[in-house]
Amino acid sequence: MTILNVVKEHFWGFLAATGMTLQLTAVSLVLAVVIGLLFAFLKLSKNRAANIFADAYIGLTRGMPLIVQLMFLYFGISSILVLSPFWAGSLALAFHAGGYVAEILRGAIQNTDSGQTEAARSLGMSRFKAMRLIVLPQAFRRAIPPLGNQFIIGLKDSTLVAYLGVPELFSKAMTAAAANYQPFETYLVAGTYYLVLVMIFTWMVNKLEKRLTPHRQEATL
Amino acid sequence: MSVIDIKGLHKSFGDMHVLKGIDLTVEPGEVVVIIGPSGSGKSTLLRCINFLEFPDEGEIHVNGELIDPKKTNLDKVRQHMGMVFQQFQLFPHKNVLHNITIAPIEVKGLPHKKANAIARDLLEKVGLPDREKAWPSELSGGQKQRVAIARALAMDPDIMLFDEVTSALDPELVNEVLQVMQELAAGGMTMVVVTHEMGFAREMADRVVMMADGMIVEQGTPEQMFDGPQEERTQTFLGQVL
Repeated sequence: MTILNVVKEHFWGFLAATGMTLQLTAVSLVLAVVIGLLFAFLKLSKNRAANIFADAYIGLTRGMPLIVQLMFLYFGISSILVLSPFWAGSLALAFHAGGYVAEILRGAIQNTDSGQTEAARSLGMSRFKAMRLIVLPQAFRRAIPPLGNQFIIGLKDSTLVAYLGVPELFSKAMTAAAANYQPFETYLVAGTYYLVLVMIFTWMVNKLEKRLTPHRQEATL
Repeated sequence: MSVIDIKGLHKSFGDMHVLKGIDLTVEPGEVVVIIGPSGSGKSTLLRCINFLEFPDEGEIHVNGELIDPKKTNLDKVRQHMGMVFQQFQLFPHKNVLHNITIAPIEVKGLPHKKANAIARDLLEKVGLPDREKAWPSELSGGQKQRVAIARALAMDPDIMLFDEVTSALDPELVNEVLQVMQELAAGGMTMVVVTHEMGFAREMADRVVMMADGMIVEQGTPEQMFDGPQEERTQTFLGQVL
């Protein structure tokens, strides 16, 4: 059984590389949420220039292949600003996912009943407080399923950072497959690592959604 | 000094001229009930009073101060006005106690302990002393609306605005809400009430205001309005609802 040999040989090496994959994913997704929230607000703003800026950003990130954005950011930006492969990769992943997250959050904020904002304002809350205390918590809860989806895509997109030379799981798999001439077995093992990660992640998202949904509350009534 | 003094208020939404020159004053302790057919501008008038809608024309004085929506700090103005909505609008991600304490804590900066004490006192008043840990989704419509009233009262407002607060309720739940409002009125709270509950208007109003087509058609004591309305619009309307 050659596959067992692959497992025996690479189990710990792949696990360590998985750590790098998780770091990449975590850093890029946290940044993506920050970027996404910023651009969601720009898109919801009444300021025309802000809308156009947000549309341009979302259009760019969604309109170009991730690998192109990665190469552009790594080789393009690093001619001006020196970035390590890890940070170049994380920033590029964040920049890419941010466009999708922006649209998810914009939708979730817009779908929150405007009556909730009115109720908050009628109690004397400022626009900012009404957003922070009343609208955003509800919007985030509603956004968990699509955000979870986006995070799973982000986790799998992190494989592309292998091409920048970040020693994450997929790059380790490529190196191993090139050395042992067993690509079928090697990629099967690496694929299983990703599958398990996604399963754990899905389970966590479902848990979080349940936790943030006290008694299956409906939106307003 | 009047709590509210409105002069020549106009409001349009696009081509719809909803309010066409409203003059209205509300004195301290007065219960003003606004009646009239759907689309007559009752709710818009109420929403202009706390500037959820900005007037196009006219003046609104609150406690003697002329409010300019562009210059006055409206958050401050609204802190002194409670509003209760037809659709309750409790915050679904907060339990009953937190629904009531969030504004006193976050807006007025009251310490949690004090805000909780106020909230518990108010829950007692609206007849829900044992539901402070409940989620809004676990309450009946009548209970939600009573929590919404407590939430508005927690800011210790000078005036309470009620926007068709029983219209979304099942008929058997209307009375528990009206009862709370009656107690409030009896306690001397200044109130402006938009409602279709003519029983409440007749019993509790100091003044009944009849609106139609964006104008005040007629106003007077409940006796004047219900027993001998002068205007044809009022007569027709009351003929339909009574």
